[in-house]
Amino acid sequence: MRKNEIVDFGWRLFIITFSVALILAVGNYVTADKIERLNIQLQDEARKSVLPDATEFKNITLEGIGQEEYKMVQSVYEGKKDGATVGYTVNVSPNGFGGAIDMIVGIDTDGKITGIKIVNSSETAGLGSKAQEPEFENQFRGKDAGSSLKVIKNGTPREDEIVAISGATITTNAVTDGVNTAANFIRENLLKVKGE
Amino acid sequence: MSITKEFSKGLIEENPTLVQLVGMCPTLAITTSVTNGIGMGLSTTAVLVGSNVAISLLRKFVPSKIRIPAFVVIIAGFVTLIDMLIKAYFPALSKSLGIYIPLIVVNCIILARAEAFAYKFEIGKSAADGLGMGLGFTLALMLISSIREILGNGTFLGIPLFGESFQPALIMILPPGGFLTLGLILGVKNWLTDRKKGGEA
Repeated sequence: MRKNEIVDFGWRLFIITFSVALILAVGNYVTADKIERLNIQLQDEARKSVLPDATEFKNITLEGIGQEEYKMVQSVYEGKKDGATVGYTVNVSPNGFGGAIDMIVGIDTDGKITGIKIVNSSETAGLGSKAQEPEFENQFRGKDAGSSLKVIKNGTPREDEIVAISGATITTNAVTDGVNTAANFIRENLLKVKGE
Repeated sequence: MSITKEFSKGLIEENPTLVQLVGMCPTLAITTSVTNGIGMGLSTTAVLVGSNVAISLLRKFVPSKIRIPAFVVIIAGFVTLIDMLIKAYFPALSKSLGIYIPLIVVNCIILARAEAFAYKFEIGKSAADGLGMGLGFTLALMLISSIREILGNGTFLGIPLFGESFQPALIMILPPGGFLTLGLILGVKNWLTDRKKGGEA
């Protein structure tokens, strides 16, 4: 009797889990490609928003990505327009208040920062999360990638200064650090060659 | 009870958040803005109706001793499927709700309704129950998130309500604000119910 019960439960549970797995497999088969394509499109759009001049992006591999002082550098893309390189986008992930902040920094071939975009972060809602607002992100636009940017708490920022989000100095520092690292990496590895 | 009654009981009388006090985790975590509240509420409603129907359909097939693992598998399967479909076909919706969908799996409203209702009643009633409970949850989230967003950020649905000089009480959108708001709402609700009963309760 007891043995039968175990067998009975066993096959019933098996049928349920098997059907659910089957349905999920079909669902995955139908949607996986589409999700992948949307993701690529989304990332391209994010790259385009920080380097508006470029029309296509190509992933480039460089030595030093993700190593030592460039540990937070995730990947570098070359932005092109009509076959000519107009700039680079760098995915960096500095550590903020609530963990890594995934962001993209755009730098043109003249060494100017063309924009930054925070793709993903878990900063405190209402404080650090304000870093994702255009008002903050736009502060970086047009800055010289050669100057190491500094954070000030208030007042009018000079050429190489960024005004911190009130109550979120750690987030501001992290984002600025990300931008500086990205700028240094591009200058050392890609722009220097062109300048000389 | 009639189907309409099964539907309407979830809205106020047996409101899952404010009366049954289930699903507290998402309630406290996501009510930082009204948009979040509505999004989480409606996606939970969709899952709740779906899982209630599926469990009601399978209630004769699943013996009561193994009902919990069966419920968990069905609910998790449902949420994963909805997550994939939203990602593929409604990318804009997925962008604003993306992080909440997986959270629905651990929302105990779903398991509670499966256990307390769908496992015992037929499909029509189970669907009505799911819809009512889901919308009741949505209403409660909207109430809490409105208070938190207005006081903590000075906005409603992202639209600024006060002048530049308004200094929002940040604590309201930080985690403590969630507890404060929920506690005050429950207090007011209990006070009202007590008064209705003439202080006897």
